[in-house]
Amino acid sequence: MIHVQHLTKSYGDVRAIGDIGFAVDAGEVVGLLGPNGAGKTTTMRILCGCIGASSGTVTINGIDLNENPTAAKAHIGYLPERPPLYDEMSVGDFVAFSAAIQGVANVEESVANALQQVGLDGELGGTPIRDRIIARLSKGYRQRVGLAAALVHNPSILILDEPTSGLDPAQRKELRTLLASLAREGRRTVMVSTHILGEIEAVCDRVIVINNGALVAQDTIENLRPDASIVRLRVAQEAAALGEELEAIDGVASARAEADGWWTVSMNRDCRTEIAACAASHGLLELRRMDGLEDIYLRLIQETA
Amino acid sequence: MNAVWAIARRELMAMFASPIGWLCLVGFSLISGIFFALMTSEFSVMTAQAAYNPYTAESIDLGLWLIQPYFANTAILLLMLAPAVTMRVFSEDRRRGSFELLMAAPITSGQIVAGKYAGSVGFMTAMIAMTVPLVGFLYWVATPDTGLIACGYLATWLMGAAFIAVGLLTSALSENQIVALVTGFGALLVLWLLSTAESFIPGTGGTLIANISILSHIDELMKGLLHSRDVVYFISFIGVCLFATTQRIEALRWRA
Repeated sequence: MIHVQHLTKSYGDVRAIGDIGFAVDAGEVVGLLGPNGAGKTTTMRILCGCIGASSGTVTINGIDLNENPTAAKAHIGYLPERPPLYDEMSVGDFVAFSAAIQGVANVEESVANALQQVGLDGELGGTPIRDRIIARLSKGYRQRVGLAAALVHNPSILILDEPTSGLDPAQRKELRTLLASLAREGRRTVMVSTHILGEIEAVCDRVIVINNGALVAQDTIENLRPDASIVRLRVAQEAAALGEELEAIDGVASARAEADGWWTVSMNRDCRTEIAACAASHGLLELRRMDGLEDIYLRLIQETA
Repeated sequence: MNAVWAIARRELMAMFASPIGWLCLVGFSLISGIFFALMTSEFSVMTAQAAYNPYTAESIDLGLWLIQPYFANTAILLLMLAPAVTMRVFSEDRRRGSFELLMAAPITSGQIVAGKYAGSVGFMTAMIAMTVPLVGFLYWVATPDTGLIACGYLATWLMGAAFIAVGLLTSALSENQIVALVTGFGALLVLWLLSTAESFIPGTGGTLIANISILSHIDELMKGLLHSRDVVYFISFIGVCLFATTQRIEALRWRA
């Protein structure tokens, strides 16, 4: 597990993160969210021991990262946003190199396992992928090589910084499936940052939101949903009376027509069925619940801006 | 130890996979070969002249006229090429992000520096080894002093190892390889020229500064005189540079 207390990092007079504290339990998959420059990468780099914190403590599986960095880092597999690869090496040699610096005893077996886990144990263009030179691989494959290097010592904690950044939708989906299986099958603690909120929603048990270097929220997505939910709907027919009809429903706090032709309805209890039935009589085209992760995220960021 | 060996091996392989590595290796072999050919030819002319001049015949010495100057020239060549060998060691890793792999691994900064240093010294050893056939040629045509040749190689290797240590430090100071190359070359040149300090600074100060120079500790060794003080100097010099590089890597971890 990861335990972070009063973590602060400053670059001269500029404070990148300030007094952050959170815990990630064993086997938990947590998403780290925040806009660009919020301090996500800095936080992750500190957790991996790549950079030191200005103050605060980080404990990895009970080991203080400051007091015993080598022992603590042995529990972590880290994939930065730009995979740290040696382009001139072959895939197999690079993962073996990573295993050697991680202190893995049985390098050959560990390399084969890691390559198999990330789907690099096959062939590409008639050549085994492990023999291919990294410089000649596509971005998706390079990401997988980075992931294999992060997994080769079978870490109990996996920290992934924007792992799907720059990948096409198909590659993103593949990698998301891979991450989900790595978390489930290995019973690993996974911390992942991404801008694609759908990925967090699909994979993570919990989210940690940071903005301007400060912790904004940390909870399950369900718990972060506001009590009074909002739905937006669009109907086919002009309906001046729709607002009154919606407000007459028990559970609807307010209903107002927006300039873009949509109606915004605030609820103080979940009465979407009644709202849908009412709107259906006016030719309901679309009805959206506006408390997805994206809405929660935007609300939290705006509140703390 | 496995991690240090793995880093050293990767570093060595990276040099052989890079154009700059081959440029250094081929350039060094070619230029030192030209030096050797010119010196051998000059020595042959002198030997021929000695047949008619008894005074010249007395002063003809293979070690003094060929072996020592050859190793001295090789040293100057190493001074120019060592920063090129080391310029990418840390700079390239930092620029392309692969440094994160090392920083996140459960190894110390000292292990990273030791591995990178061992790999670079390995490459420099390969460069020096390219001269072995040339020197071996002397055994075919004459009877050279093996002790002098061994000391010449030891001096060249120790000096090269010291140059690599300086280059490693300058590579850790910048993300830009050209900056690392220029500062490395500049630092080596200053360390070389410090030997002339006695001419400008009179007294103990001048002697002290001159003694810091690499050149002051290479002369005797090149002449075949192996003093422990010179070996201790080189070991200490390399140790100080590697310690400074380790401190720089630690600083990168804390200031990054």
